[in-house]
Amino acid sequence: MSDHEHHESHGAAYFRVFVALCIFTLVSVVADVVHLPNKILLGGIVLAVAVAKALCVMMFFMHLKFERAWKYLLLAPTIIIAMALPLSLRPDIGETYYTPDVQQLRDYDEQQTHAGDHGAAEHH
Amino acid sequence: MTHTATAPSLKMGIPIPNGKLGMWLFLGTEIMFFTAFIGTYIVMRMGSRGWPTDTHVTHINIALGGTNTFVLILSSYFVVLAHDCLLNKQFAKAWRWMLFTLILGFVFLGIKGVEYAGKFDHDILPGHIPENNRQAMDKVVNQFEKLVDKRLAAAVPSKAVREDQRAVVEESIKTLSEKSDRSKADDAKLEEYKALSQLIGKFSDLKAHVRADLSLDVPYEEFEKNRKADEEALAKNQKKEIPIAKYPPITLEQVNGDVKHILADKELGPLASGLTESHPILYGNLFASNYFLMTGFHAIHVIVGLLMFILVLMKGSRLAVKDAVLVENIGLYWHFVDLVWIFLFPLLYII
Repeated sequence: MSDHEHHESHGAAYFRVFVALCIFTLVSVVADVVHLPNKILLGGIVLAVAVAKALCVMMFFMHLKFERAWKYLLLAPTIIIAMALPLSLRPDIGETYYTPDVQQLRDYDEQQTHAGDHGAAEHH
Repeated sequence: MTHTATAPSLKMGIPIPNGKLGMWLFLGTEIMFFTAFIGTYIVMRMGSRGWPTDTHVTHINIALGGTNTFVLILSSYFVVLAHDCLLNKQFAKAWRWMLFTLILGFVFLGIKGVEYAGKFDHDILPGHIPENNRQAMDKVVNQFEKLVDKRLAAAVPSKAVREDQRAVVEESIKTLSEKSDRSKADDAKLEEYKALSQLIGKFSDLKAHVRADLSLDVPYEEFEKNRKADEEALAKNQKKEIPIAKYPPITLEQVNGDVKHILADKELGPLASGLTESHPILYGNLFASNYFLMTGFHAIHVIVGLLMFILVLMKGSRLAVKDAVLVENIGLYWHFVDLVWIFLFPLLYII
């Protein structure tokens, strides 16, 4: 049983992945600093960047690109549960089918109507 | 050909070391652990119209968050270099890369500590945040009350109840002012007691106004007089409805303005240190709860990772190729920690 007698260094590849990660991070930060008017677009860009970074780390740093099919066996159940949780909770508190009457919504409406003169959400 | 050099004989199971499989299974559970919190955060936000997003209100510092992201990415890169060097039998280099990773981990925790300190300073803590104007006004009054109690207890340690302590202060003021030959110490004490009495007066006035929802422009005595007259009139004429005199309500601006005046006052200011203006943050408590839960658990995972690095670094010069699996597994854990932060950063700091 021999173990990696002459292991080629992957240092260069790792460095390239690191640079890619840095660029992605920069894109995220710039997208925020630029103050995009469309919040959904900002959310989309930033989450796409997060997924790209996650894939870089998982595939190369965690070496999953070069591992065999067992990775699916391990990750499939976890991903299923990870997706299932927010999806199942969303109808509970993420959306409403009726007009709710709670203190927070009344405060929110009051905040909106007096957005100028209250200065409730402003600071210093 | 894969990387494993052993020719698999009739071996059952997945062709990776047990430790690595164990670590991956653990990471699978950790994925579920963190997606529980992140998923909950997402769902809570979806259901909360008016969630605080202004970073000046939530005191979220994107510069620090971005720096932390870079720190973790760099540390992940160093870990992977350490494993690479280890496989190439460059043990000293591998040890050094892992040391750098450890240092970067501490840098991350330090920056997190700075962020947490900021939150504590601004009282952005679950359960501490007023969410509407009435709660904000009540919070100022409660804060003021605690401050007054503290000052009174310091000035009159002999008495336990606020009324008794106040009585002692008023009495002392009377005796000291009537005293003809006051010493320097007496003068100082008189000034101190006068300031304290004034502060207590301001507190009582503010509290009465806030509790009665009465504008600070209207003296409380006038309000009380008319309220008593109205109640008597109502009691006498049981059948007819006497319109109760309506006064303008108190507003948060008035309360905060009062606080500002007290803090700016030369004598009262130092005495009232600790009193702050209060601004409501709608869904602030839910935000703080989520923030501390997610970043707190992540920080705990970082600490555990650092402990593992310390354990490996303690091997020192005994580091050998047989430690490759251990280093790889610790690296996997650290990459996972990095992964979680990669998702936490946009969700908490940017969106």
